[in-house]
Amino acid sequence: MLQPDLLQLMAMGGSQTRNGDEEEGFREAAEQQEEGNPFTFNPQLLRLHRDHELFEDGDVFRHMYLQDLFMSEAEDDISPLPPDLFLSVSEFGCHISGCRAVFSTLDEYEHHYNSLHRHVCCSCRRSLPSARLLDIHIQEWHDSLFTILAQKQDMYLCLVEGCGQKFRTSQQRKDHLIRLHKYPPDFRFDKNRKEKGTREASREQRTNTTMEAADDVCRSEGVCEVMCSVESNQLEQEESMETHASSEEAAQFEDFSASAQTPETNTEQLKPKYSYRFVVPKTVCFGHGSVRGFRGQRGRRK
Amino acid sequence: MWRLNKVRHKAGGHANSLEELRTKRREKERALRQARRDRQLVSKRLLRNEDEEQDTMEVTPGEQDVVTLFQKLHHGGTEKEAFLRPLSKALRNPSAQLTFIKLENSMHLLVGLLTGSDARCRLQAVRCLHELSHSTHTSVASACLPATPYLLTYLSGQSTKFTELCLYTLGNICPDSETVKERLLAQGIIPALAGCMQNHRHNLAVVEAAGFALFQLLQSKDAVQKVIPSVRSGLPSQLLSVLTPDPDFGLAPAIECAWCLHSLTSSSEDHRELLAQGALRQCGSLLVSLGGAVADGNTDQGVELLVCPLLRCVGNLLSSCPAETLHSQLGGVDLVAPLCELVVALIHTLPTLARETAWVLNNLTAHSTESCSALLTLNLVPRLLELLPFSQGINTMVLRVLANVAHKKKEFCIQLAELGLLSALTATLKMADQDIVTLSLEVLFMMIVSSPQVSEQFVSQGGLSVLEAIQYNSDGEVRRRATYLLEQHILREK
Repeated sequence: MLQPDLLQLMAMGGSQTRNGDEEEGFREAAEQQEEGNPFTFNPQLLRLHRDHELFEDGDVFRHMYLQDLFMSEAEDDISPLPPDLFLSVSEFGCHISGCRAVFSTLDEYEHHYNSLHRHVCCSCRRSLPSARLLDIHIQEWHDSLFTILAQKQDMYLCLVEGCGQKFRTSQQRKDHLIRLHKYPPDFRFDKNRKEKGTREASREQRTNTTMEAADDVCRSEGVCEVMCSVESNQLEQEESMETHASSEEAAQFEDFSASAQTPETNTEQLKPKYSYRFVVPKTVCFGHGSVRGFRGQRGRRK
Repeated sequence: MWRLNKVRHKAGGHANSLEELRTKRREKERALRQARRDRQLVSKRLLRNEDEEQDTMEVTPGEQDVVTLFQKLHHGGTEKEAFLRPLSKALRNPSAQLTFIKLENSMHLLVGLLTGSDARCRLQAVRCLHELSHSTHTSVASACLPATPYLLTYLSGQSTKFTELCLYTLGNICPDSETVKERLLAQGIIPALAGCMQNHRHNLAVVEAAGFALFQLLQSKDAVQKVIPSVRSGLPSQLLSVLTPDPDFGLAPAIECAWCLHSLTSSSEDHRELLAQGALRQCGSLLVSLGGAVADGNTDQGVELLVCPLLRCVGNLLSSCPAETLHSQLGGVDLVAPLCELVVALIHTLPTLARETAWVLNNLTAHSTESCSALLTLNLVPRLLELLPFSQGINTMVLRVLANVAHKKKEFCIQLAELGLLSALTATLKMADQDIVTLSLEVLFMMIVSSPQVSEQFVSQGGLSVLEAIQYNSDGEVRRRATYLLEQHILREK
């Protein structure tokens, strides 16, 4: 907003003399900080030239007065303020690169973020409504150990929290959900893994543009998908969003470089529950409990 | 006269509905806005006799009358004044103006009457010139050149009404063309204005007119080189002396002089002379009293027209005031609280003026620990925090002020955290505008490194997930900062 060409900045920084009994100001502390500190703020005196855009409204106002077009509020009920000027409130915008959503209230922002960007599976980019369902999804879809064990034991966990029953096949679980828990047959968060194959094929053909929105694949699945690229090995070749300090983690954790905005799904029965996780499965790359935040410290409990 | 307490309806003789007026104003405002963007913003003023106001309702005489009247005047005789009066009315018509200047010897005649021995003719002649000066055609201004040396000479005269007309005429024609302006400068318009202001300093109508003429001169693009150097000597102190509004006469002279001062301070970077004359203190103390009136709601009509240039003067003067001398320059005027109150008072009625006020606050707090401390001790921070939802640069500027405070001392950061800055930041970090997000990260950084308690407080307010989300921002610099903050500071402490 402050145009650099018209704005003359006079950064009178550390050369300022200070009172002796002052505490160490930020400047001195900042100078002692480690390399790589990207923060650059310093208080600055801003001198505004008369043509600066910040002065536009006041100048127009002044000339309206000179040309006798000024009227005070008290008279004739005409506001002196040109009606085009109104006070506007900042919008909130989703941070996730590629997601263009904006909101007028903080609540809407939070709802959007928690619904669509929290529990995202790194491998296939699906967004699940809760941490628990994400866990189950990862286990059943992306864990080869699970696949092996499932051949011999009951591994498919009932989706209803507290039920705890396990089943040999996903179909059996589904029947259980329908019969006992009265779930609909087409419950969106219980898709069969086998159907994944067709989608994978079609997705491979898509380009890795970060700005693509999910298409009707999302709708047909009923699961809100956050589109990026397909295979995990492709991800590692993508531009990383972060500079990775530790390379061993870079190999393990898949980067999630972009996501696209998807239409809000009806979460129907399940509301997004964001429970704060203290165990971070290896393949989770996003949300609270994200790798980036806890690199090297928490979440290495596997 | 256009005193502010009079409503002027100048759009012809018929009664205008409110809606028509509004539409007309809106169109005019749009035109002015575009003119400013094209750097072509210029206005003229027309002085009408009070007893003639009813006449504005009449249909003005047309072109043919101008020719007839001129011929009658040309033929001599003693009844010149009788023809001059209708001529001045006839010259309100734009096409009549053009016709007149094309008539042979028309200007010569007018100048003759202007400088003749008949005082009443002089007055009418200058009225004619004044009407001509209001023309939008630059050819008309050039046609008036023969009259200018006399108009300037008369500025040192004693006739107040006459002087006023001369001043407005000069003020109207000088922005019209380079030739006219150069000629006027060469003929010594600036010393003449200075002398006039001095001589007539008790006649506020004349002072207002002189202020207007000077303002017009200062609007030219090369004012810095050609006008301002001569203005430096003497005029600024006169301008400053007029600043305090007269309760009877009203704000108008102060408004003109304040806008002149704004033109001076914003066109040039050298403010030493103004500072030496106590401009900062005077503008500051006036701002305090006017600002207080605005905040209380006891405003004269149009007080914003005076507050605006004063704010700009203070803002730009502060920007060239070294921190060590700030206190002495302000001369004990405490600006911190009044400016904060002014921002809050203006935010809903005049938000762009509120933004300018926040800019002045930034300049005040940038290098002054005292001002920052005052913000805290006078409990002004919560009111500033309430302004952070507002966009169009308001929240960025207000956050800058808070950043200035945080930058001074770690102790200030702790106090800011207690006052709720951290939770305000968790909201601003989610805004769509990248500028506010970037600035919020800078402030957050200063807060976090100030003390472990602040860092913990941030985490307990759910700040971690906010930063984690920012790590996916499309802007690389923003991502870098969020990551750095998380990795090097917040999480290191755990």
